[in-house]
Amino acid sequence: MAQDLLNALTLGSLYLLFALGMSLAWGTIGILNFAHGSIFVFAAFTAHLLVQEVALPMPAMLAVGAAVGAVLSLLVQVLAFEPIQRRATDHRKAEMQILVGGIGIAIIPLAVAQRLTGSVPFGYSAGTFRVSTWDLGFVRLSNVQLVTLVAALGLAAVIGWWLRAARPGLALRAIGVDAEVASMMGVDRRRLALLTMAVAGGLAGLAGVLLTYYLGSIAPETGDAFLLKAFAAIILGGVGSIAGVVIGAMVLAGIETLVLVTTSGTWAPAIAFGVIFLMLLVRPNGLLGRQEVRRT
Amino acid sequence: MNAWWVSHLVLVQSTFISLLLALSIQVPLRAGVFSFAGVGSYAIGAYTAAILTIRAQLAPVLAIGAGVVLAAVVGYLLALLVARLSGLYLGMATISFALFLGVLATNGGELTGGATGLFGAISTLTTTHVVAISVVVVLLLAASERGAYGRRVDAVREDPHLAVSLGIDVTRVRRRVFVVSGALGACAGGMNALLRTTVSPETVGFHLVVTALTMIIVGGALSWAGAAIGAVIFTWLPSVLQVVGDWQLVVYGVLVAAAAVWVPGGLLGLAQDGWRRLRASRRRVPPEGAAAPAAPVAADAEQQLAALGGPAAEVRS
Repeated sequence: MAQDLLNALTLGSLYLLFALGMSLAWGTIGILNFAHGSIFVFAAFTAHLLVQEVALPMPAMLAVGAAVGAVLSLLVQVLAFEPIQRRATDHRKAEMQILVGGIGIAIIPLAVAQRLTGSVPFGYSAGTFRVSTWDLGFVRLSNVQLVTLVAALGLAAVIGWWLRAARPGLALRAIGVDAEVASMMGVDRRRLALLTMAVAGGLAGLAGVLLTYYLGSIAPETGDAFLLKAFAAIILGGVGSIAGVVIGAMVLAGIETLVLVTTSGTWAPAIAFGVIFLMLLVRPNGLLGRQEVRRT
Repeated sequence: MNAWWVSHLVLVQSTFISLLLALSIQVPLRAGVFSFAGVGSYAIGAYTAAILTIRAQLAPVLAIGAGVVLAAVVGYLLALLVARLSGLYLGMATISFALFLGVLATNGGELTGGATGLFGAISTLTTTHVVAISVVVVLLLAASERGAYGRRVDAVREDPHLAVSLGIDVTRVRRRVFVVSGALGACAGGMNALLRTTVSPETVGFHLVVTALTMIIVGGALSWAGAAIGAVIFTWLPSVLQVVGDWQLVVYGVLVAAAAVWVPGGLLGLAQDGWRRLRASRRRVPPEGAAAPAAPVAADAEQQLAALGGPAAEVRS
């Protein structure tokens, strides 16, 4: 039981790292990045390619993953989303174009990774890091789990604090409330958008590398599944709310673990879809959301 | 011709099935409804047709017809459920609906054949039937894009509030596109299941959403012709692009991303813009004689509307 809880918390932390950046970008600069899953996988994959050449320790791998994720995310923002937002006539159209563009861009890194691996799962066995487990009596905690938990909860706390207390955080929240007025008040929207996307990509890359360490190996297709799960976590907690996405990720992971433990597990993938659908019908603002869902 | 037809039969079939699937997303998009429920209907149609053919040996027209009716009903109920949502939220709710059906099929036990799916749905459905059905569907849709009804749908897409104030029943138009989208998706799914004699959960996953969207975005989302252009391009591109071989998917991604960023109207929008410009440049020559002013004035009015982004700017073919 305690072991299941710990596993659920670890899974929740991985969802959290992935969903945090997505939620931040969506809640503030209004970008729902569908290439996020692809960035996540490609960052993990680049770290894999690198570790085949040089036997790197875990901190270096995490840094590589975060850096690759941030760079890819920035590229997507500069090459695709910025031109779309510049040219679109109205907000609704821009939103759809960003979604579609994201789906299109997502194909590219995924296809490259699938081509190079032949869709065979890849891992970091060439690195210097080895998984070890501590037996605490009631649970067995692995070093990967510890790093994941600390990284996810720590980064969520830092970002939550930054949004609430720091001046750029205030500016970013202002963009989320009203982008036009925010830029009239002297907020540099472009710079903050780039910063947000870089942070989001970096978190995705970090999640990718940690997931690969946690599971031993991942397939390139993992990104799609994570994308929909992150979406479920964000909707559950409320778009743009950091506490919401923490709760959403943990609750989703908790339900999934419960279903995996008590049944044969074939229903587990349906939980995220069910959560998305039910939440959108019953409470589209999420548990902690403040933004009104636009209706017509 | 005959030898070519036989050797390219599978490609011809999948062109028309892709066209119907793409249309099941394009019809809602044309009315400004961002719904992927058509992909879920594809699964409903495929499984219904396969089950009825294998278990009850029903004729293909009945097996596919049952799927179409079922998916249309489900589409209507879904429209009632998600009536409050719009934009991205609607898109995600319908994506989860479609993907949930895939999990449902995996867990359907004996009825749906579980993760391996169903095999041996052998029927008398031929390519000629598929082509005939597609042509009928396209003619009906083309008719619905013209005249007063077409303009009403344009108004619902461009400005739902304005449409309501003009006395257009926006809710009814939205429900209708859900039903039509369900029927089209189920038709595509049913015909594909019977032609390939098999259906499995893997054939109805997220990749269908990507495929359908790819075709519409590159072809053009505002008319059936855009979906047709997209279906032809993406079904035949692999046989032309053999040089690129394994990098084919990368090329797809680049095409979709480029279309989404630079050409939101798709290839069709591009062609129509070019045509309009060509016509405009011809008309700019000052005509001689007294009767001339009448026509250019009308054309100008249309162009001014187009410049303002009004309904006349939108694709109609």
